[in-house]
Amino acid sequence: MSLFDIKELVPQRSPILMVDELLQATDDEAITRFVVRSGNVFLSADGRLEETALVEHIAQSASAFAGYKARMEGATEPPVGYIGEIKKFLCSYRPQVGDILMTTIEMGAEVNGVTLLSGVTRVDDAEVARTQMKIFVPGK
Amino acid sequence: MILKNSYYKPICVEQAEGNEQIFRIALLPDCEIYNGHFPGRPVCPGVYNIQTIKECVEQYTGRTLRMGGIRQCRLTAVITPQECSELEVHLVVTPTEGGYRVVARICDEAQTYLEYKGEMSV
Repeated sequence: MSLFDIKELVPQRSPILMVDELLQATDDEAITRFVVRSGNVFLSADGRLEETALVEHIAQSASAFAGYKARMEGATEPPVGYIGEIKKFLCSYRPQVGDILMTTIEMGAEVNGVTLLSGVTRVDDAEVARTQMKIFVPGK
Repeated sequence: MILKNSYYKPICVEQAEGNEQIFRIALLPDCEIYNGHFPGRPVCPGVYNIQTIKECVEQYTGRTLRMGGIRQCRLTAVITPQECSELEVHLVVTPTEGGYRVVARICDEAQTYLEYKGEMSV
């Protein structure tokens, strides 16, 4: 079961919408889902996603989590956040069309609009990518 | 995904001091990605700029590369295709056992927008 329509949680739209559903959310952890479909802008000639797709997917998963929290606090529009830093990104498998990405986001503390988080993406229960990230939400 | 001539247009490549290469590019404001990032308010996706670095390294080395790891990438300022029509991609590419160590930054005359350190493998 998903929590809200994803378009109520993230400001990104096609062709760069890289998260389908927020499946679970607690105070500091969330799980998202994304299915790789044909026509995805990150698909390479070999039929697999570029590694940067996983960075964007993890960032948007965090964005969906932040959007959910904002909704619960009464916001009507999803907050726009920017990636401020990517650290220790690793990608061991490049997903292809039909793969289902399940991503766990662990959100750290927010200081002056900057939130530190980590994300791990799995396909068929096997880890395919992980990263640490700082997301900046202006005006917070 | 090929961003050359869809997201950016190459202008020229210059050899700078040491072994630094400078790729001068022009951003293409009509790129379809701005339909979704964000509707009515075009902002360059940070990952597109990282992908642009990879394409420049591929052009420089003449090889198809994989980006298995990013040690650190700092995105210090937002880039919009209106305010930043031309950008410089500075690269220092050092061969390693399985590929290349890449230190890159994206800037213009006004400021630095992105600093990248990572490994790209053959």
